[in-house]
Amino acid sequence: MKISRNWLQTFFNDPLPEAAAIGDALTFHAFEIESIEAHGEDSIFDVKVTANRGHDCLSHRGIAKELAAILMLPMKGDPLRVNINLDPKTDAVAVSIAEPTLCRRYVAGYIRGVKVGPSPEWLQKALESVGQRSINNIVDATNFVMFNLGQPLHAFDAAQLTRNQQGDALLVPGYSIEVRKAKDGEKMVALDDKEYTLDSRALVIVDGNTDIPIGIAGVKGGKPAGISEKTTDIIIESANFDGVTTRRTAAALKLRTDASSRFEQVISPELAGFGMYAVANLIIELAGGETVGFVDAYPVVAEKKQAEVTTEFVNAVLGTELQDTDIEGALTRLDLTHMQDGSRFAVNVPFERLDIALPEDLVEEVARIAGYDKISAIELQPLSDDVLVNANFFAAEQAREKLTAEGYSEVFTSVFSEKGERVVVNKVDGVRPYLRSNLTDGLQQAMLKNLSNKELLGLKEVKLFEIGTVWGVKEERMNIATLVGSQKSAKPNVKEWKGTETELTPISATEYENLPVSSAVRYKTFSKYPFIVRDIALWTPAGTSADDVLTVIRTHAGELLVRSELFDQFEKGGRVSYGVRLVFQSFDKTLTDGDANERMESVYIAVKAKGWEVR
Amino acid sequence: METGHIHPISSLIREANRIFSDMGFTFAEGPLLESEWYNFDSLNVPKDHPARDMQDTFFIKDEPGYVLRTHTSPVQVRYMEAQAKAGIEPPYRVIVPGKVFRNEATDMTHEAEFFQIEGLAVGEDVTLANLKGTLARFFKELFKDASVEIRFRPSFFPFTEPSVEVDMRLVGDNVPDKLRDKWIEMMGAGMVHPSVLKNAGIDSAKYKGFAFGMGLDRLALLRWGIDDVRHMHSADLRFINQF
Repeated sequence: MKISRNWLQTFFNDPLPEAAAIGDALTFHAFEIESIEAHGEDSIFDVKVTANRGHDCLSHRGIAKELAAILMLPMKGDPLRVNINLDPKTDAVAVSIAEPTLCRRYVAGYIRGVKVGPSPEWLQKALESVGQRSINNIVDATNFVMFNLGQPLHAFDAAQLTRNQQGDALLVPGYSIEVRKAKDGEKMVALDDKEYTLDSRALVIVDGNTDIPIGIAGVKGGKPAGISEKTTDIIIESANFDGVTTRRTAAALKLRTDASSRFEQVISPELAGFGMYAVANLIIELAGGETVGFVDAYPVVAEKKQAEVTTEFVNAVLGTELQDTDIEGALTRLDLTHMQDGSRFAVNVPFERLDIALPEDLVEEVARIAGYDKISAIELQPLSDDVLVNANFFAAEQAREKLTAEGYSEVFTSVFSEKGERVVVNKVDGVRPYLRSNLTDGLQQAMLKNLSNKELLGLKEVKLFEIGTVWGVKEERMNIATLVGSQKSAKPNVKEWKGTETELTPISATEYENLPVSSAVRYKTFSKYPFIVRDIALWTPAGTSADDVLTVIRTHAGELLVRSELFDQFEKGGRVSYGVRLVFQSFDKTLTDGDANERMESVYIAVKAKGWEVR
Repeated sequence: METGHIHPISSLIREANRIFSDMGFTFAEGPLLESEWYNFDSLNVPKDHPARDMQDTFFIKDEPGYVLRTHTSPVQVRYMEAQAKAGIEPPYRVIVPGKVFRNEATDMTHEAEFFQIEGLAVGEDVTLANLKGTLARFFKELFKDASVEIRFRPSFFPFTEPSVEVDMRLVGDNVPDKLRDKWIEMMGAGMVHPSVLKNAGIDSAKYKGFAFGMGLDRLALLRWGIDDVRHMHSADLRFINQF
């Protein structure tokens, strides 16, 4: 979520620290910062608000509240702690909620006589700083309050809604807003000019007098009742919609919006009142007009909650030695009002902090405000009992030891296969959807790949093994498989390979053996280009060692030589014959025969100069 | 005859088991094809959580309620439950190295199947400070030639409270340039959520615990400077025979 430093500053009299310091404060006490970018004289933070704080922190006010606690900077005033009144009430608009569990509150505000026009510069700049386009003063006001307080809002053009002509039409316009489930196949053109087809899992806002949808609840408003330059009378919506329903609808319509991403995190219905209060005031300020009144459909008022914690419990969880005053201090900094009885704290959980219920939740609050750097590194007490040896792991380790000693290397192949007994229904890439029923198929694929590199690897035959999970019709088991492969003709032939596959038998033991671990220091990237193999055979005088021969060859073969080794050696008639295999490869390109010939030519010249005879 | 090579992940697991075993941790296992109860519900991940959406988790045809486990954490509950049923009270200490799955396209840093190591310690007096001490010792022994620093940052996981991200910094001349003096994000961790203890049949008023989950592929990448996580499942001896 984008957060502007200048915007945050509006919550404080004292100047905020530099952007980097704000970033650190949030990183170590609240949320990860994905990035900090300069934006003119402003800095924009991309704050990764955690899922448990989507209730209260997807707004500048939320982040300012955190900073106030972390940096101990007093807030100028917290818009969620002021007394609000949504007066006067009006019966010019009727609100009915058919699904009170999916829409826990719907506040409508009716304002007449607004003048739609461009927003003032401060508002345009504020919205642009968080990546929003300024539209007009009414729409901008609703967006501003959402990014400021976290409450999504929407404004309808009242003139586009139908009035109930019964009753006193002059005094009572008779607008009606209804929240109900969509009908399967019901359509609505949204503000983005696209037509969306809804189903009965979605919630819609309808014009109660016509039963026609004017908004997809919590996601997007409808085009017909949108604000235009001609709009003079508006009905503002500040509501609370169910998280799961909003998320499913937004996902199904591929229409994730700033509003839906807030509702899907679940926000308190209490917030709707503050959102309406703020936006109505801002609209009157920006666009004039007169508030006719408010309607507040709020069937079940959210309960006030308490949470308790003791200093002893905090220390028992964290392994710290915090004092009562430390706990008191952290709670006060977080504006968590509380009653203290010695080392016991009873916190009145603020309505927006839906994440706080358990003592452990308060421990986390204290820990992050006190700072995780205050927690020492203390090792666990030794246990009196011996550690039990895992018989499967022990058996696997024994097998690894035995097989590597025999020249086998361990591979991990994919559990996904082209055939098997069980199948994944939703594999994102669509290929190899089965769970493997054996290891051998995967090993054979691996063998093909490795055989073509056997000269590069310096291997006459390739020996592979795998220890891994396979699936039968009902069961899951651990198998061990080996495969030895060589390539005698131009094409590899699976029939020439030899392998085994059995279930791994657990081995009981009382102690693990001390087996060697890899001594590799750094991995070296290998070339993706093909290599070329050349052999050379030489007659040398008696007394010439293999090392002598290899040294001369390696010195003159050039930098493309990646492997060289003796493959043949015999004596005859007082002379020694050596056969050496050279492997050439480049990191930059596919080598040609010409490239290899050129290097071999240098080698020939060098060995001839030594008086050796090329056979 | 030339000897073969064990996979670098196997080497890491061998090393991790040795270090943790010295600290009293038992090697535990669980199925890869796991029930949604153990993989999600028992770990306090609600039914409607986005992580349970189809696009992140592999589901199996005709086996509703089962998934390819998305983390090694289900073994936390399985292990505690089995101990409790056998009448064995905490302390419990286990590590769970093993394969886990995410339903995503693969690239240089993402694999659909990869390895994690889970750690769990439960007892009457286990604290977050013990988590820091345990991880500090693990990294110190793993990166023998370096001096290791550990720090926590706030985070969120449904199955731990408080939750932290664990960063590590290696200092010393023997540390490769790419790693030296840099804070590196290593894993998520925290104190086991009381609901998770309850779901496993453990008295959460009496016992507490810490848990962590670390990506082994990523640890291998850092340890040996490996440039592409896909090497891990490539079965390519040009890679494996370097270890």
